[in-house]
Amino acid sequence: MRDSLEVLKHGVNQIPHPAKDVDREMRSGQAGIRDENRFALMLGVALLLGVALMSGGVAQAQGVKLPPHEKVVLPNGLTVLLLEKHSVPMVNVSGIVKAGAVVDPAGMEGLASTTAGLLRKGTKTRTAQQFSEEIDFIGGNFGADAGSDYTSFGAEFLSKDTAKGLDLVADAVMHPTFSQGEVDKLLAQSVDGVKAAKDSARDVIFEYYEGYLYDGKGYGRPTGGDESSLKKVQRAAIVKFYEMYYTPGNTILAIAGDFKTEEMKKKIEEVFGGWTGKAAPAVKMEALGSRKGKRLLLVDKGDATQTYFAVGNVGISVMDPDRTAVQVVNTVFGSRFTSMLNEALRVESGLTYGASSFFSPEKEPGPFAMFSFTRNETTEKAIDLMLEVLKKLHTEGVSAEELASAKSYMKGQFPPSIETSGQLAGVIARFEFYGQTDDEVNEREKRIDAVTPEIAKLMIAKHFPLDDLTFVLVGKAAEIGPVVKKYAEKQDAKEIAAPGFWEGRK
Amino acid sequence: MKKSWKRIAPLAGLLAALVWVCGASAQEYPVATKTLKNGMKILVQPDSSIPNVALYTFYKIGSRNERPGTTGLSHFFEHMMFNGAKKYGPGDLDKVMEANGGSNNAYTTRNVTVYQDWFPRSALELIFDIEADRIENLSFDPKKIESERGVVASERRTSVDGENEGVLGEQLWATAFMAHTYQWPVVGWMSDIEHWTMADLKHHFEMGYSPSNATMVVVGDVKPEEVFALAEKYLEPIPAHAPPPPVTTVEPEQIGERRLVVHKPAELPLLMIAYHVPQTDNPDFYALNVLRSILFQGESSRMYQRLVDKDQIALDVGSESDSAFDPTLLIIDAQPKEGVEPEKCEKAIYEEIQRVKNSQVTDQELEKAKNFRLAEFYRQVRTINGRANTIGTYEVFFGNYQKLFDAAKNYSAVTKDDVQRVAQKYLGANNRTVATLLPENEGKGKP
Repeated sequence: MRDSLEVLKHGVNQIPHPAKDVDREMRSGQAGIRDENRFALMLGVALLLGVALMSGGVAQAQGVKLPPHEKVVLPNGLTVLLLEKHSVPMVNVSGIVKAGAVVDPAGMEGLASTTAGLLRKGTKTRTAQQFSEEIDFIGGNFGADAGSDYTSFGAEFLSKDTAKGLDLVADAVMHPTFSQGEVDKLLAQSVDGVKAAKDSARDVIFEYYEGYLYDGKGYGRPTGGDESSLKKVQRAAIVKFYEMYYTPGNTILAIAGDFKTEEMKKKIEEVFGGWTGKAAPAVKMEALGSRKGKRLLLVDKGDATQTYFAVGNVGISVMDPDRTAVQVVNTVFGSRFTSMLNEALRVESGLTYGASSFFSPEKEPGPFAMFSFTRNETTEKAIDLMLEVLKKLHTEGVSAEELASAKSYMKGQFPPSIETSGQLAGVIARFEFYGQTDDEVNEREKRIDAVTPEIAKLMIAKHFPLDDLTFVLVGKAAEIGPVVKKYAEKQDAKEIAAPGFWEGRK
Repeated sequence: MKKSWKRIAPLAGLLAALVWVCGASAQEYPVATKTLKNGMKILVQPDSSIPNVALYTFYKIGSRNERPGTTGLSHFFEHMMFNGAKKYGPGDLDKVMEANGGSNNAYTTRNVTVYQDWFPRSALELIFDIEADRIENLSFDPKKIESERGVVASERRTSVDGENEGVLGEQLWATAFMAHTYQWPVVGWMSDIEHWTMADLKHHFEMGYSPSNATMVVVGDVKPEEVFALAEKYLEPIPAHAPPPPVTTVEPEQIGERRLVVHKPAELPLLMIAYHVPQTDNPDFYALNVLRSILFQGESSRMYQRLVDKDQIALDVGSESDSAFDPTLLIIDAQPKEGVEPEKCEKAIYEEIQRVKNSQVTDQELEKAKNFRLAEFYRQVRTINGRANTIGTYEVFFGNYQKLFDAAKNYSAVTKDDVQRVAQKYLGANNRTVATLLPENEGKGKP
């Protein structure tokens, strides 16, 4: 979280946080591949693999295929996915428990996330400290967190330590004890974590954006909770959540790396075969359609010298049949360095370090946003320009040349997103969860090539709203308040220090 | 798009992280090298597991080569390297690269400027053409300079001014160094960003961008011979010129603690403590990294156990140290919890430091640190991108990428005595600079 001193060409670098060279300044911050749980905002390639998968492609057909993998369902219902990859002597585990923040009780946001965070904080046979000591000793790591649709857990260790690594993963997932002391400790840290995040506008703008876009419902609820909701999370609720949802039948376990499939199968059966649990209730969520009209939330950060702004509406779901075409158009519009948005707001005018747009598909339609930041005095100019670029997308469409370039870019940039065992384990686990097939990768180039200028035009009309727009700004209200009045008739305001993000109208 | 609020202790990382420990069990990656007639060195590591290539070009020039008045120029120049040359005019570089499936970025540190290209193998020759064009024939369009000035100012606002870590870290470096050029921020002081000139840029290009000052690393779906042939065709004809003048200033020994305070609106306070440590190629590098692992790596580390878990006074605690040609800093940072005075965290940190000075670390701790370095090595080299950065970093900062292969031996050789010795030698009160950010909020009372 302390990458503060990086200086890049653009916002998100493709370095998967390798040498975290302190004081590095980069040209830009294009988010390439980052840890799943990281917040990759900046140039809005935020969707990481999700986007990459849906959007990627090859210049000349690169022909990348998902490596062969096997699926086994244990008698207790646990779905196991195994993918061998021997390039480095490591093993990656990527698990999904099919319940995420959307099932948090109202007012208790952060329950799923807290439950996940406590998995390693003490089991029937290990204290939190012992668990850390053992995973650290083998140079491995273990983490868990909740997203909106699901909870994920993951581990990584050297293949020589496979027995120990699997034992630790199984222990955390099957036998957590949720001691009161650890519950209290983690909740206190999480509350302070929200406050620390609010010291950085770019760390929290999308919490406000999603909150306001979905009016505090569904995907608009903060997955990590907020200052108020975390105080309502109790141990009893955590235990209940765990017992209800952390069951073998409700869990996907993907393992990729340096092992032999048959041997790994046996090991998994040994370690996870004894796990039991009742059938978990199905997750239901009321999907929200796109928002009508123009609305604006101004979050006041009194010391801000720049305004951060996100503008958009509800976008598409993971399985939306338009997903590939939408990503092709969005590549032209806002998800690469030479995109229309970055060209206009950064390259040609120097108003900002970066401007971008992204779709963040979930099981139900996730958000679409255009995003940038600029100094207080140029806020109006930058937002006006962003809206002009959006209008230009509608009036001029996408040229054949731009389309060809975007396709080539998507294909060429895709292979590094399925390069490592960790990435592959994550991909096959998510495919299983969302009901996608390997065709998502294997047929990707074909699907990209099928997008014609006519299809692109349809996508623009359908998925890039011109009139129904939600605006969220984080900045100095005293300076920018008057100038942003013109963007929407419906205006709301909030102080950044006030607890929570946007809980919706009561 | 969402995250939970548990803060993750920063990986101690850096160069050390690129090294592996158990030589015998670690994988080797064959590297082919060639030095062109103009002095540019090329390193190639073929790997066809994906049909892509990562190409890194390291220039040994960074903000340490700057002067007051033009701080941040290296980084600004890095931006200008994308803004037009002879064959590929303004905007062409990015457009052509992306249309051919490639992407790029670059980063500048106090020590080096590094250009990164990621592309499908089909674009290999094109990338050489682009790189040669800008190294040889960079153009300086006054209009581009002005708009890029705005971009960099925005970058400074977002990465430094808008982040508490950025504000405090900048002041920490400026206080810890009073003579050496490491004292100013890589991005530059805002007033310098506003004032550098075309002449400054041209001078910088002449100073830093001789091929003899560059190292290129190519990793991916290529053959060494084809890379060398392209290098000979496109890069070798570019004439060499004088390298940047040496940085001769040596920071005088610090002979007493320095303290600084930043008052600004904030939700939570922040603490940073810096100690002067030697440059990367110093033999103590390995022992210092083992010490940092024991103190900061993972939730079982001493500092995490003490400050986050036991005393519960901090949200996280970590350390950083950059790859450097000259003696640099080891920085400890801690995020105190709300209502906790930073001094309380400071005291706990000093007590833990005292403990490693007073008595040896355990065998278990030493082995854990070495295991971590081995795993971290594989994390670095498992992608073509990580490998390109690692090989280049070794080549540049240790003077020879082969040092990568000695690292195993060097880490194995670190003893409990060494760990204790470097703690005693470098982590002393007279050698430290302490920076504290204290929230000053309207209506909440001012100090």
